[in-house]
Amino acid sequence: MSLTRTPAAVEAVAAAPPREAGRLRRFVRGEAAFGYLLMAPVLIYLGLLLFYPLLLSIWFSLTDASTGQPFASWVGLKNFTDLWSNETFRLALRNSFIFTFGSEIGKAILGTALGFLLLRRFRGKRVLRALLVLPWTVPVALTTLGWLLLYDPTFSMLNRTTGAIGFPYHPNWLGEPVPAMIAIMVANIWRGFPFSAIILIAGMTSIPADILESAALDGAGFLRRFHYVIVPMIAPILFVGLLFDLVFSFTDLSVVYLLTKGGPENTTHILPELAYQNGIQGGDLAQGAAISLFMLPVFVIACVIMLRILRRREI
Amino acid sequence: MASDALDVSTQATAREAAPWLSRGRKDSIVTWLGMIFFLVIALFPIVVMAITSFKQGSDIIDVQTPPLWFHRLPTFSHYVYLFEQTKFLTWAWNTIVISFFTVVITLILAVPAAYALARLHFPNAENFGIGIFLTYLVPPALLFLPLTIILSRYVNLIDTKWALVVVYPTFTTPFCVWLLMGFFKTIPVEVEEAARVDGCSRLQAILRVVLPLSVPGLLTVAIFAFTLGMQEYIYALTFISNSLEKPVTIGVTSDLIRGDEYFWGELMAGALLAGIPVAILYNFFLDHFVEGISQGAIK
Repeated sequence: MSLTRTPAAVEAVAAAPPREAGRLRRFVRGEAAFGYLLMAPVLIYLGLLLFYPLLLSIWFSLTDASTGQPFASWVGLKNFTDLWSNETFRLALRNSFIFTFGSEIGKAILGTALGFLLLRRFRGKRVLRALLVLPWTVPVALTTLGWLLLYDPTFSMLNRTTGAIGFPYHPNWLGEPVPAMIAIMVANIWRGFPFSAIILIAGMTSIPADILESAALDGAGFLRRFHYVIVPMIAPILFVGLLFDLVFSFTDLSVVYLLTKGGPENTTHILPELAYQNGIQGGDLAQGAAISLFMLPVFVIACVIMLRILRRREI
Repeated sequence: MASDALDVSTQATAREAAPWLSRGRKDSIVTWLGMIFFLVIALFPIVVMAITSFKQGSDIIDVQTPPLWFHRLPTFSHYVYLFEQTKFLTWAWNTIVISFFTVVITLILAVPAAYALARLHFPNAENFGIGIFLTYLVPPALLFLPLTIILSRYVNLIDTKWALVVVYPTFTTPFCVWLLMGFFKTIPVEVEEAARVDGCSRLQAILRVVLPLSVPGLLTVAIFAFTLGMQEYIYALTFISNSLEKPVTIGVTSDLIRGDEYFWGELMAGALLAGIPVAILYNFFLDHFVEGISQGAIK
């Protein structure tokens, strides 16, 4: 027995029969094994259908694979350099950022306003909330059909309605490049702003009232409470929500695919939709994979930031 | 001191306590104006869809009349057409089957993992938890191409609804693990220990004590996975071209648009009929979604 041990530890060891200590060790070992056993299904499943495809995608992008001939020969970075010199691709890359950040700003403004409104107390709130989140809760592919009708060049419900109230701007929404970009962003903002509101509500309601109370009792004025208590507490939630939303916006093809399919004249492609058109419909698996991998950096950055938030909450 | 305490109680109660009535009234006017503004924005496209779905064909294409009301008698003909002349019921059934099995697989994968992460101490538990949360961020847009190859070359499931059943848990499971973890943590360890003192094995304690206590949590997770399965678009679009295997989101959006010809009445009828049940179901989940998000970020 080492001399550095404290008397209490010595006593404890002396008190515990050796058999007891062995069982403790066995128990801990058993718990670890049990833990891994319970984790195994999900880890194997995600490994096979998430990580393996990701690696496969990287492999495809370095070959000349097609959907008919997926295991083809190595071409190095050719697919990426080809894409970089491709006008349509570069426009799609630019559009992806415009689409995502434009939508995000719109969603943030509308979502914040709606979130603060829904934090108030008033009659009929539950019913109103259910109606107000409809753009988010009805499947996006189905509501986008509604936008297709609103933007239709002949029957455009939007132009006919705005015309009726005297609004002067009546473009062929999906037929001209700039209106088409605006059109897909408006549909995407409409689809997503209730989610931004929900995130804001989640943030605000997560601040326990007693924390605010004790801050006030300690003599903190509203500004100090806002700066030192409210902001640090809701910021991680807003950030997590924003990250999810950014990744979803950046990688969702349904709105663009259903409304413009990249038209008119390839001016509104975004990365996921272009990857689908080239990779599946065009059968150029390698190029499709390369296009989708251009989205990987955005995902990785989002992951790193998320990781930092998640780690920080542990401390 | 007392007034200070009042000052920090929630905004709403402060408003109620305020004797200055006109301010309360001003607040409620702002609330209602805001509500009307957002209701118009949120509901305009949906109302247009609903009205169009009940309009006669000749009324829909009549561009001379104001679009937001009926100029000929409303009709159910588009709904009837949907049931009698299209595969709408097959698509709806496919969606239910796909979502149901997605829920089953999600629960089988998520429940054990969530229990392990919430209760057991083992090396790297923390890292596994965070890793699973991060996989929720992996976008389908990165995976649909390689998954197409896997589903057609490795297992012959492509172009069947089972392809979707196999793949959908990739995006439902991570968030469900995270949510269930929170639920399990709210069940006191003592309850489980008591069961074990009474002679239950660890597994029996889980099955007989922990799971029955977490039924609300399991239900929430099931609803969440179900609605996500019903909403999905990219994988269904990529994997399924056989009309008989399509879920409703793909059936309505691809089979009712033939070339340049749009069957507006049927399209809108199909979209609403398929979409509104999803929205109702999602609504049950909303409060828990809020909890899940905040839990991921702060607790």
